[in-house]
Amino acid sequence: MQENYLAKWLSGELSEEELAAFKLSAEYKSFERLKEVSSTLEAPEFDVDQALVRAKENFGTAPKVITLNPFKPFLRIAAVLAILLVGSYFYLGTLGQTVTTDYAESTNVILPDNSEIILNAESQITYSKKNWDKERNINLEGEAFFKVAKGKKFTVATEDGTVTVLGTQFNVENRQGFFEVTCFEGLVSVTHNNTETKLPAGNSFLVINGEIISDLEKPIGDTPSWMQNESSFNRIPLQFVFAELERQFNIIVTTENVDTDLLFTGSFNNTNLEMALKSISTPSQIKFKVEDDNVLFYAGNTSK
Amino acid sequence: MSNVCEDQVFSSIFKAHSKTVFNYIYYKFGNEEKANDAVQEAFVKLWENCAKVTPDKAKSFVYTVANNLYLNVIKAEKVRLKYADNSNDRSNESPEFLMEEQEYKQKLDDALNALPENQRTTFLLNRIDGKKYAEIAEMEGVSVKAIEKRMHLALKSLRDKIDGL
Repeated sequence: MQENYLAKWLSGELSEEELAAFKLSAEYKSFERLKEVSSTLEAPEFDVDQALVRAKENFGTAPKVITLNPFKPFLRIAAVLAILLVGSYFYLGTLGQTVTTDYAESTNVILPDNSEIILNAESQITYSKKNWDKERNINLEGEAFFKVAKGKKFTVATEDGTVTVLGTQFNVENRQGFFEVTCFEGLVSVTHNNTETKLPAGNSFLVINGEIISDLEKPIGDTPSWMQNESSFNRIPLQFVFAELERQFNIIVTTENVDTDLLFTGSFNNTNLEMALKSISTPSQIKFKVEDDNVLFYAGNTSK
Repeated sequence: MSNVCEDQVFSSIFKAHSKTVFNYIYYKFGNEEKANDAVQEAFVKLWENCAKVTPDKAKSFVYTVANNLYLNVIKAEKVRLKYADNSNDRSNESPEFLMEEQEYKQKLDDALNALPENQRTTFLLNRIDGKKYAEIAEMEGVSVKAIEKRMHLALKSLRDKIDGL
């Protein structure tokens, strides 16, 4: 017998053989009677017409007119505009301030809590003026010196690492392949590649082309030299010295037969190009040529 | 195209289905008042949504509204049904036979009330309202096979109960 054969029997869907077999079974008579008597069952009275009258009283006879709101499209646009306005207000509020310096330029920024940032050439910082009370976060590209007023955690985020302090003076330089943090006062914490380094006053943290350089000489003075219009270097590859030279004087440096990985120790003046070029070329025993904004460094015959 | 918002269309849908909506809810809960309210509720909702519900969807719309109305809200009461007096030659029956028949109907009543709600509703929609399994499946939102299963089980337990097995 197939599944649910009682239901199939009731609806007359059993095959002839199945029906014959079912009729022979002992319980057939009982089911036959159940089928018969249940067919005389009746539900309670239900007056359709009266119910319809009642239903129509419930909603009235006139079909409901759905008025299309002529302002609907306008309201939609207005709503979108309102959301955009409010959204951009908050978004811009968090984006906040951006300060940029160009080649051969430096600038001074005073933050809402009187912390001070001095931006070196070709650098940019962004921070949120609005949220400054809540979090002191600065995004930095390039180089800047920070005088941080005491207060909540102060974070400088760069591409190569973050620097966290509470209140102190320090310099951060982040250029292509070059990341240097120098602490001049207090204690700063540098996070590079998920490793945290504590940097007490008078110490530097330097990464060149992804490599951490140790055994650094202590910085001289209590502010970075560039703030006195002097760019100084301590065993830094020449390529970074040339890059700094380009930034300070807005020139283009090219080299010919010069090993730019040679380490340079010394400084150059940021105001006088002629003097600066001499400061670099003399100790490195290379020669230079100036044509408009172009400077060519080349290996001199005498050095061979 | 005919529209449910038209009075005539609405009235004909009402006349065609209100009785089944009433019975459907009555079989489930055994409460006439609630069944009447369900009819009102379902058709007022249909009227309010007449612009959105097409005539061919109206039937399942009212069943769904009626069904959802009391979902998990009220307890089932005893379902009381009547029997049609369809024997023309009643006078010829012996008093014993009539007595036995009366007893049988009483047993069937009790057995029906002992059924799970979904089996009773399926059984009665078929026996009283003459609904095909496919129609009941549509009302209950389940497969035809599930309805056949309910029907099979309903028949089996009704018979067991009546025969005192």
